[in-house]
Amino acid sequence: MNKPVDVQNRVLKGYSNVQIGEKSKYKDTQTYTDPNFLFNEAEVTPAFMTGSEVIKEAIRRANIDLSVAYPITPQSEAAALIGELYAEGYMGDYFRGENEFGVMSQCAGAAFGGARVFTTTAGPGTLRAFENFPMWAGSRLPIQVCVTMRGVNSPLSIQPDTLEMFFLLETGMLIWHAETAQDLFDFILKGFIVAEMPDVHLPIAVCCDGFFVTHTKDTVALPDEKYVLPPYDPYKSPVVCMDMESAPVRMMRDPFVMKSNYISYMTQASWQLEVRAAIERSRKYTKALIGDLIECENIDREIIMIGSGTAVSQAREAIRLLGLDGIPVGLVKIKTLRPFPHEEIAEALKDAKKIFVPEFNVAGYLAREIKAVLPNNDRVVAGPHVAGGMTMPSEVIADEVKKALGMKTSGMTARG
Amino acid sequence: MSDYKVVPGPEAFLPPAAAMMGIELPDPGEGHIEGRIVPEDEAIEHAARKFLGAKVPTIFPGPQILWHWNESAAIKAACVREMAEILPARLIPMADYRPKYPKINPEVEINPNHPNLTIWHNKIDVCLFVGVHCHQANLALKIIRGGTSCYTMAACGMSGHEDACLTIRDVHEDTLRKLTACIKKLKAEGVKSQAEPFEQFRFSREDRKPAYLT
Amino acid sequence: MSIEKIKISEALHDLMPPEYQDMVEDATYGNQDRGWKDIGESKELIEQHSLCAGCPESIAFRYILASLPAPENTVFVGSTGCTSLVFPMVAVHNIHSLFGNQNAVASGLKRALKIRFPDVEKDVVVLAGDGATVDIGLDYTMQSWFRGEKFTTICFDNELYANTGGQESGLMQKGFVAKMAPVGKLFDKVRLPEIARESGCHYVACLTVSKPNRVEKVLKNAILVAREFGPTYIQLYTPCILEIGKQSMEGLDEMKDSEAIGGRFVFKEYMTDEVKEFLKQKDAEEKDRKKAAKLAAKEAAKA
Repeated sequence: MNKPVDVQNRVLKGYSNVQIGEKSKYKDTQTYTDPNFLFNEAEVTPAFMTGSEVIKEAIRRANIDLSVAYPITPQSEAAALIGELYAEGYMGDYFRGENEFGVMSQCAGAAFGGARVFTTTAGPGTLRAFENFPMWAGSRLPIQVCVTMRGVNSPLSIQPDTLEMFFLLETGMLIWHAETAQDLFDFILKGFIVAEMPDVHLPIAVCCDGFFVTHTKDTVALPDEKYVLPPYDPYKSPVVCMDMESAPVRMMRDPFVMKSNYISYMTQASWQLEVRAAIERSRKYTKALIGDLIECENIDREIIMIGSGTAVSQAREAIRLLGLDGIPVGLVKIKTLRPFPHEEIAEALKDAKKIFVPEFNVAGYLAREIKAVLPNNDRVVAGPHVAGGMTMPSEVIADEVKKALGMKTSGMTARG
Repeated sequence: MSDYKVVPGPEAFLPPAAAMMGIELPDPGEGHIEGRIVPEDEAIEHAARKFLGAKVPTIFPGPQILWHWNESAAIKAACVREMAEILPARLIPMADYRPKYPKINPEVEINPNHPNLTIWHNKIDVCLFVGVHCHQANLALKIIRGGTSCYTMAACGMSGHEDACLTIRDVHEDTLRKLTACIKKLKAEGVKSQAEPFEQFRFSREDRKPAYLT
Repeated sequence: MSIEKIKISEALHDLMPPEYQDMVEDATYGNQDRGWKDIGESKELIEQHSLCAGCPESIAFRYILASLPAPENTVFVGSTGCTSLVFPMVAVHNIHSLFGNQNAVASGLKRALKIRFPDVEKDVVVLAGDGATVDIGLDYTMQSWFRGEKFTTICFDNELYANTGGQESGLMQKGFVAKMAPVGKLFDKVRLPEIARESGCHYVACLTVSKPNRVEKVLKNAILVAREFGPTYIQLYTPCILEIGKQSMEGLDEMKDSEAIGGRFVFKEYMTDEVKEFLKQKDAEEKDRKKAAKLAAKEAAKA
């Protein structure tokens, strides 16, 4: 960095398209609220609800213009609950698309037209929709999709699995991974703010582990529902809004740049880099809103576990079990996969002797990502990982550590 | 801290995005000079000096001020005109963003898909982008830094541009007037414009060639 | 765009290439009498194009752009193909995102514009080729009709994939030998106009672009009906002269042959009774308006 970025005292710029305190365009019981207040100062009350209900509660306060739904387990409930919000007047439009490719294209159309758009998908739906994601990023559409991750390959499984997040990594989208219901609530609301920043302006996938987060109940602190985010301002976009109200009038989003000459290749190449640059620019806003991109506990210990999503919850319990056996282990939780917290991870793990990466997928891709940013990466044990919705008991993680230490295990060590 | 410097090119076959090299955008009230964060006033004075020291100083107004699509756009356009006259600097418009290959007339227009043609053709050594949408400005700034030695500056209405050698952000009418005032002040102090003599082209609908060509 | 936004900032006016100055002064934005006859008399909304010489698609584009009832409030959605090489040159906002998703994009766009501009009629018009409309995008085309989305779908039917080099498409006629149909296409041309009628389109027309009057009328009908009732569909034969082995000057003859009695593109038009009544009323209003305008002009001349 060319300057140290002060994220503690960073105040998000106010919205100029509406007055804070004005009644919402959609629901007159809600008022536009300064995000700085909503996130940091508003009084919260605890609620006990499922992840799907948490998604609904976040969207109730998100002031979205439009949402498109399509059923696929385990996001169907959340998508239907957003429909209830629509029926109650919380957003401008809502409908069921024909399949996820259609849904994501409908979201794109609405975003091209200057709307704040939210949708949800999962597993095979993510893959069916896939062609849209790099298009969203290339077109700088700040759409938010909540991905409730599940198995994607044959034989069919509706169980949790994080492989689809791996596929999303190089789409040019921001990829955040929620561990808990509270993360999910916070990430959805804060995700809109970061994604819509004029210098970021990218789509965001807020991912969570299907069932573990969507279908279990958890306590979540909710601000009063009278608060709602200010609306998206399409005229702060780094690209032209397609509403015939913005200059220039001769405008295609986006023209082909593939004539066979060097100059057009430069446009294509620079465009790709600009999307990556925008991901980089999101770091300072993300840190200001959700804290550091990683969360560390006891990283002065020689053994560290690092992961994202509910693998972190399982690791936390494994660390407690290992503690009972006198084995001290530290923990690093990754909150954003894109931008990837490479410097933070390298710093947090600089003194670790052994690093374990528990994952809910057969590939162990997070371990590969981590290995790529660490010196002496033979310290990294790519495991344990499970797949196909198999549960990953904390004992399995603890056994992985014991095995690596040459200790006796309970025999539950599993490799997907 | 990154030691990367956003200096004039030609940097590389494909220059990196400065943001990927660790260059952060300025915060409100700041600008950057070659990647170094400075107070806005310092960046403005540096821009004025760069302009005055240039042989072919050029301003590229973009669609957001070329088109009178809101009142502020028209005022900014007038501010830019005044700046160009006081410097003096060439004005070359970026009227829209369509790829115009291979028909561009680099003498009188610039296009974000091949901005280097305009820089090369006119031998522009210092330029200022103003009123160009951020995405297209960044594409053009990268391409210019990739293949030319032009010193690029960006006056941005939003968050600024790391891919320019110098940027100021949150630019509105007053910021542009401030830059013009700074140019006037420097000239009054004896800093002379090094601009080579030129004639600002003018188009009319009857006159389909630049005025100086007829 | 509100018409007053299409102007050049005064201070920089003389920098703008004349094509832009013309666009502001001489284009027919906001003129409710605009139509194909303005071509040659006013600045067209298409600057240049990279289609083949003599391509009927280019004339179709020009008729359509000249006949849009309100280009200042229209947004196009296109798809991948020859049309997408033209769209960057069109002075109406337009979107290309993927191949085949045009009706899905248009659905989201139309709804967003309705939310953002509840008091302005923003027309959304899909314009795509037959591969995009009927093959890869058929699901999205038809589902937008099922849902009753209020926009017009135009298919430039050249009976093959032209941009990729002349491969078989669903709208190709049976027996035609093409790339990917090495022994001739084995099934009939898909009857999309009839499918459109049965899928919820309130107005459907199928024709060639040999008669500009007819193209203009059909386009205006389709857009007016889409505003009031729901989806409308126009299929235009724009033969790919290159891939069917014709010369540049033979496009018009090809269209005329195909619309003659017994041809594939004999003009057909379907509409509901409600729409028939509506269009009759619109025609009457139009006639009255023009008559009144003529009278007023006469009076003014006298005075």
